Amino acid sequence: MIVETGLFALILALFIAAVQAVVPLIGAARGDSAWMNVDRPAALVLFALITMSFGALMWAHVTSDFSVLNVVQNSNTDKPLLYKITGVWGSHEGSMMLWTFILTFYGMAVAAFGGNLPPGLRARVLSVQAMIAFGFILFILLTSNPFARVYPAPLNGDGLNPLLQDPGLAFHPPFLYLGYVGFSMAFSFAIAALIEGRVDAAWARWVRPWTLVAWCALTLGVAMGSWWSYYTLGWGGYWAWDPVENASLMPWLAGTALLHSAIVAEKRDTLKAWTIFLAIITFSLSLLGTFLVRSGVLTSVHSFAVDPQRGVFILLLLLLFTGASLFLFALRAPALKGGGLFAPISREGGLLFNNILLSTAAATVLLGTLYPLFVDALGLGKISVGPPYFNMVLVPLMVPMILVMAIGPFLSWRRGDFMGALARLKIAFVVTAVTIVATLLIAGASARSVWASLGFGLAAWLFCASLIEWTGRIGLFRRSLADVFQRARHLPRSAYGMTIAHMGLAIVLAGITGSLAWKTEKLQVMYPGDSVAVAGYQIKFTGVDNHVKGPNYTASRATFIASRDGQFVAKMQPERRVYTNPPQDKSTVAIHTNFVTDLYAVFGEPDGKGGFVTHFFLNPLVPWIFFGAVVMVFGGMVSLSDRRHRVGAPLRKTRATPVASAPAMPAPATVVVANGERKGLLRGWVYLVPLLGFIVLVGFFIHRLQLTSEGDTPNLIPSVMIGKPAPTFNLPPLLADRPGLKTADLKGKVTLVDFFASWCVPCRAEHPVLPLVTQAGIRLVGINYKDKPADAKAWLAELGDPYQAVAVDAHGRTGINFGVYGVPESYLVDRNGVIRFKQTGPLTPEIIRSKLIPMAEKLEQ
Amino acid sequence: MKLPFGILATIAMLMMFGADMQHPAIAVEPSEVLSNPVLEARARAISSELRCLVCQNESIDESNAPLAHDLRVLVRKRLLAGDSNAQVKEYIVARYGNYVLLKPPFIEETYILWFGPLALLLAATAAVFVFYKRSAGVPPDPAPLSDEESRSISILLGEPGEHEETR
Repeated sequence: MIVETGLFALILALFIAAVQAVVPLIGAARGDSAWMNVDRPAALVLFALITMSFGALMWAHVTSDFSVLNVVQNSNTDKPLLYKITGVWGSHEGSMMLWTFILTFYGMAVAAFGGNLPPGLRARVLSVQAMIAFGFILFILLTSNPFARVYPAPLNGDGLNPLLQDPGLAFHPPFLYLGYVGFSMAFSFAIAALIEGRVDAAWARWVRPWTLVAWCALTLGVAMGSWWSYYTLGWGGYWAWDPVENASLMPWLAGTALLHSAIVAEKRDTLKAWTIFLAIITFSLSLLGTFLVRSGVLTSVHSFAVDPQRGVFILLLLLLFTGASLFLFALRAPALKGGGLFAPISREGGLLFNNILLSTAAATVLLGTLYPLFVDALGLGKISVGPPYFNMVLVPLMVPMILVMAIGPFLSWRRGDFMGALARLKIAFVVTAVTIVATLLIAGASARSVWASLGFGLAAWLFCASLIEWTGRIGLFRRSLADVFQRARHLPRSAYGMTIAHMGLAIVLAGITGSLAWKTEKLQVMYPGDSVAVAGYQIKFTGVDNHVKGPNYTASRATFIASRDGQFVAKMQPERRVYTNPPQDKSTVAIHTNFVTDLYAVFGEPDGKGGFVTHFFLNPLVPWIFFGAVVMVFGGMVSLSDRRHRVGAPLRKTRATPVASAPAMPAPATVVVANGERKGLLRGWVYLVPLLGFIVLVGFFIHRLQLTSEGDTPNLIPSVMIGKPAPTFNLPPLLADRPGLKTADLKGKVTLVDFFASWCVPCRAEHPVLPLVTQAGIRLVGINYKDKPADAKAWLAELGDPYQAVAVDAHGRTGINFGVYGVPESYLVDRNGVIRFKQTGPLTPEIIRSKLIPMAEKLEQ
Repeated sequence: MKLPFGILATIAMLMMFGADMQHPAIAVEPSEVLSNPVLEARARAISSELRCLVCQNESIDESNAPLAHDLRVLVRKRLLAGDSNAQVKEYIVARYGNYVLLKPPFIEETYILWFGPLALLLAATAAVFVFYKRSAGVPPDPAPLSDEESRSISILLGEPGEHEETR
């Protein structure tokens, strides 16, 4: 009953969203305040309905209602309560519900706290919000209904992936979505402004707090995700440049640029079209991330269960929202003309520089993430773009940005004094130089410590400059103490926010530098009682408790005593857990931190002789990365608490007739239509470029989804061995009375070389069709890949032996020489011993008939 | 007839999971480690730049898949045989193609990838240059406020220190 109520509330919410999307928009266009005023109650009702629906889903999870499919697939009665609650968004369906819940939460916030917004703007903002909500609710209802029932209800559920049974799940996705979805506010404001045809300082002032909220949440969400992977993955990695991670970084970079360009738009009434563009792009990148994560167009470690059908729907949403908004942008942006002029060297100039680099960085991450897809779609083969690429191209972009980040706040608006700013940074120069020299002296001269010294120098530069800027503002050392206190108290919170956030970034930078430069690790087999030395620590393995009982797992827990110079430092207890539902292993690491360095212990497999594989890491400065991120978020929140972000937004001069004038009649004070038809047309072209680029991108996505639905998944790797002679090998036979196999045996007759193993599940599916190959007159030989001979013999005895020869590749080396990466794989070799065709995955009658046999006949001639 | 996507996906999952999901803790195993620390460090560096073929986007250095293990052992064997880092990578690429390289090679297909960031930066800079040219150039400097004036503005606005931000 409660579950049906949830579904019903969701359906009802769809209609409310439709009303909220249409009525206030028409009202705003007509200047009809009765219609416009539908927006607030609608947004409140929409939020109430989605809350009800989300609550119903949570209820089903908490009470373990196994008549609901989503609960069956993701929960289990043994699961602790925390994971029953957080497991709600552990699945695709539930996470979309969380997404929609947060979306309507923001709409509610505008309705409840947006009292000072002009009614026309508010109506349009809430209308755009409702359009997005409508799209996502429809998506949930049509493709991902979390309330689907199952009959008969099973007694228990499948449980949640153990990797997700972690406190990280309680925080990481909600904050990430608060960030992603929070940018929908900036997006809605941008669309409302484009429809309305006016962008002014007041608009920028309204957008800033929402952008700031989203930015804080996203920063925290990304940092938490990074921390989660740091303590989960078992090798201390916190960032892997995985497509899904990049999907969260791109909106962050664009959102950071937006945050800064909105300042210029507010204070100087310029860069308006650019700010609008960034607002559109930032949310579009969030949507793109959703698409990438859930459609399976890219391979990632963190993917949800992927489904191309859902991918098509999200792509439609993306096409609709981003396409329409970029179209609107191309129509309206040429008319947005900046007011405030400024010199290249000025506060505006510095912020613009920051924007160039941040947006180039965002575009670069996008390029690198999607490049494999482009190359594949153009039929140029498959390539990978991994961490080495991103590190190489992004460091040169980030270094000048951070250098200038330190100087920018010293420049005045309109026209700055560069040399004057540098003169005020004398102390920062000294501190930077000392940091670099000290790092080199302490760490010794190696390439690694040179890089480390430069990284620390950069961090010191930014940290110090931010501090100097602040002391300069409050007049420290220049004025009387009382005066300094007075000034410190009255300095706007937003100024504090900037200083804190910039210092936070400096801390992150130092953390990344330290962890890259001086990470040490030690890997070994240890027996209880053994000790090892790891970077100055002495770690003693005191024993293993094999009978640790968790709520839904059993574990082996090792105990290590870490000491330094004979002094006890920490007791560390990493575990290897075996979960019951689903039956999966999970390793939990033990971390001892002193807030500068993490000692990180992983407990591995037994060696069968009483020993265990153990792996220790010393991760210097890693805690600073997460601490710095928290400082950045704190800075954002301080800025958010600025009086002017709360109530100080200047009210527009509201006329008796609502501000919502028809878009065709923009207010002359804020919009200057480009002079002359021709110039407007010319400029218009430039504004079309993003839309055209986006359409091309969607084309690539459609092509990729098409390929995937035909079975060519992104991780199906074409063989480079085709057209090359079969590699040299000479393998022993599996069966004593039959010959083995060597390269020369393949010559003279067209031969299919089939790699198989008894442990391989799809091989069992392939086996019955193999006689079709021999019946067609093709010689069929088998190579038993990394198998136990006894198992392989039993397999052939049970299923029959279609092979003319079966050889044993015990260590898989011949497999590697052929380019085998997952059995079953088979290679068609011509009479001269050259490989002509490769089938990855099981052969089917269809493939044998349509591809293999015609090709073999041609080769036989 | 084409295999329905669902079946293919299931098969792909089975292939992947059968091989991959066993022990998600330690990738490099003690038995693989070379006694020569210089060679071992090179092996680790090479491994971290080679993509595991059966995993969802991990390097062979991070992966627990059996194939990743085999490739790590192979990398070390090649190093012991005297191969240079580049030769080891070439050896693997000859069998599996450029897909295994996490750092894409600089070839025709990747020109856009490698030059892209620079091109984007230049385009953005050019756009800013046009923006400056379009706007009528550098604004004339108004006479700066005297201390007297800025103080009185502060008092008028009732927010001492406020003028600081727009200094």
